Amino acid sequence: MPKTKAILIDITKCIGCRSCEQACKQIHGFPLDSEQKLSPTAFTIVEEHGDRFVRRMCMNCQDPACASACLVGALKKTDLGPVTYDSSKCIGCRYCIVACPFNVPRYQWSKLVPFVTKCDMCYTRQAKGQLPACVEACPVQASIAGWRDEILEEAQRRVLLDPKYVKRIYGAEEAGGTSVFFISDVPFEDLGFKTVPNQPMPVLTANALGDVPTVVLVGGSLLAGVYWITNRRKQVAMAEAREKAAQSASGESERS
Amino acid sequence: MSGNHFPKITLWRTIVALIFAAGAYAAYARFALGFQQSTNLVDAQPWGLWVGLGTLCGVGISAGGFAIAAAVYLLGFERYRQVVRAAVLLSFLGYLTVVVGMMYELGLPWRIWHPIVMWNRKSVLFEVAWCVMLYTTVLAFEFSPALVEKIPWARIRQTYLSWHHEILIGLVLVGAVLSSLHQSFLGGLYLLAKGKVDPLWYSQYLPSLFYLSAVPAGLAATIMVVFLSMRSLNARVSPGVLTEMSQVIAPLLYVYALFRGIDLFTHGGWSYMWMWREETLLFWLEIGLFVLAPIILLSQEKIRTNPQYLYWTCSLVVMGFISNRLNVAVTAFQRSSGFYYVPKWTEFALTFATVTAAAVAFHYAVLHLDILPKAAPRKPQLMQRVATA
Repeated sequence: MPKTKAILIDITKCIGCRSCEQACKQIHGFPLDSEQKLSPTAFTIVEEHGDRFVRRMCMNCQDPACASACLVGALKKTDLGPVTYDSSKCIGCRYCIVACPFNVPRYQWSKLVPFVTKCDMCYTRQAKGQLPACVEACPVQASIAGWRDEILEEAQRRVLLDPKYVKRIYGAEEAGGTSVFFISDVPFEDLGFKTVPNQPMPVLTANALGDVPTVVLVGGSLLAGVYWITNRRKQVAMAEAREKAAQSASGESERS
Repeated sequence: MSGNHFPKITLWRTIVALIFAAGAYAAYARFALGFQQSTNLVDAQPWGLWVGLGTLCGVGISAGGFAIAAAVYLLGFERYRQVVRAAVLLSFLGYLTVVVGMMYELGLPWRIWHPIVMWNRKSVLFEVAWCVMLYTTVLAFEFSPALVEKIPWARIRQTYLSWHHEILIGLVLVGAVLSSLHQSFLGGLYLLAKGKVDPLWYSQYLPSLFYLSAVPAGLAATIMVVFLSMRSLNARVSPGVLTEMSQVIAPLLYVYALFRGIDLFTHGGWSYMWMWREETLLFWLEIGLFVLAPIILLSQEKIRTNPQYLYWTCSLVVMGFISNRLNVAVTAFQRSSGFYYVPKWTEFALTFATVTAAAVAFHYAVLHLDILPKAAPRKPQLMQRVATA
């Protein structure tokens, strides 16, 4: 895999100013009112858990469930890292929403021409070498962005060197690894983080899909074989009947 | 029914008209007002009744078509030949309801053709979409002689029918493989939602479980429509055929029960079976209707040989099958999503209207085409219906 981009969110540093929310809304042209939950007009939000602030956004998984679910390939893991959504392909089946282990994508339920919405780590900005809008807006560098391997190293460094941190990087293993990492001084379970299987989700369906050629070949030839046998039997039975009829006919002609 | 009269107002026709009226309003709500006004779907429950009942059950109950067609044309069970057209028609109409259902289920239904040109081979739904497309086409071909043989031009009729005869075996074979694949893939859709689906229903063997449950449900549904056609539409099949079909259902249910039991035991669902939760109740309802009750009932000679009893037993199988699919699609997600989904009435209305349209089509097909052997020559049959009307 080529070098990909990532974001690190350090929960111990977040002051809950919501600059990231605002920057995100501004760049997408959404109304600026703060929202409690992710929505079609809020791709990132800041949740309060006691005196900690937790930012939510799309994790932009390394091997995303949504991208493997999408039957028309509207959702895609780009080489740069962000998981992008091509609304011109989407047919509105919402399988991505069923599939996402982090419950991130939001559907425009109130629209007559509804699309799926989610954060794409400011793909167009990052492609031009700019930072994601939310990271750029953070006044205390609670969110930082960069190359994934470097960002992951930085997260490991902080967690190892400072004993206040929980010894875990949320996002390093979850769903086979993501592009957004969280580090915290409070257990992640207490901050509303979901427990997600540590395997890349698409593996779960890859096995089933891998069985297709086998099923087609084995099932098809088995059925064809059985048909050949039943057909042969029928032909033999018919031939015997014909022979019998011919014999009895010739017998009769001999007698007469 | 005799043509130039205004159709008589009967109880059933009133009910059908009411269902269509409700469906028409629901269609208006869906297309003119949107999902929010016409459904209770939210991001925590993005697939609801339309997927759970319309798609999963619509496809599953249509499994009788490929099973009976394969039995007759490939395995040589000639006895079932008299019900093969009914089974194929049931499947064809079942798939049509699924395709029609897609038109209101999808957010952007005018793009339904996208999967033909935009491919993602990693997506189970992509495989499902292709199988539905191909198999609906296969079913249309399999069923087409029933329509073509009514064409008054002998040349066209004979050319088509002889051509059809040439390719029939191939069609049946392709159909059996295609529908086996995608009955399984409907279960495969939920593999990705690991961690969201309740342990009572999640299994890496969901594809196999979906397949193993669809075949008995499809056969049960076929028995039901044949029985109803005999009771109300003057069809007559030889008395033993329904009994014989039911004798296939019981072992299939045994296999399913065994497989499901082993699966629950090895995947840790076992401990959830005895927990006092709403999920557990619905699980046992499903198992009771789909497996326990039918297995006990079908072991009784008296029930196997009495079409009426058999009909009700088969309706248990179908209801149990429906509860299984709704459990997978809805119940299994409730705990993880924290959202209690109850479909809006308009969701029911659209699905019921679609299914009712298929039932009406089946009714008229049996009356006017040669779907099932008829009891008596045409004339007395008409007289009889007039007399009973």
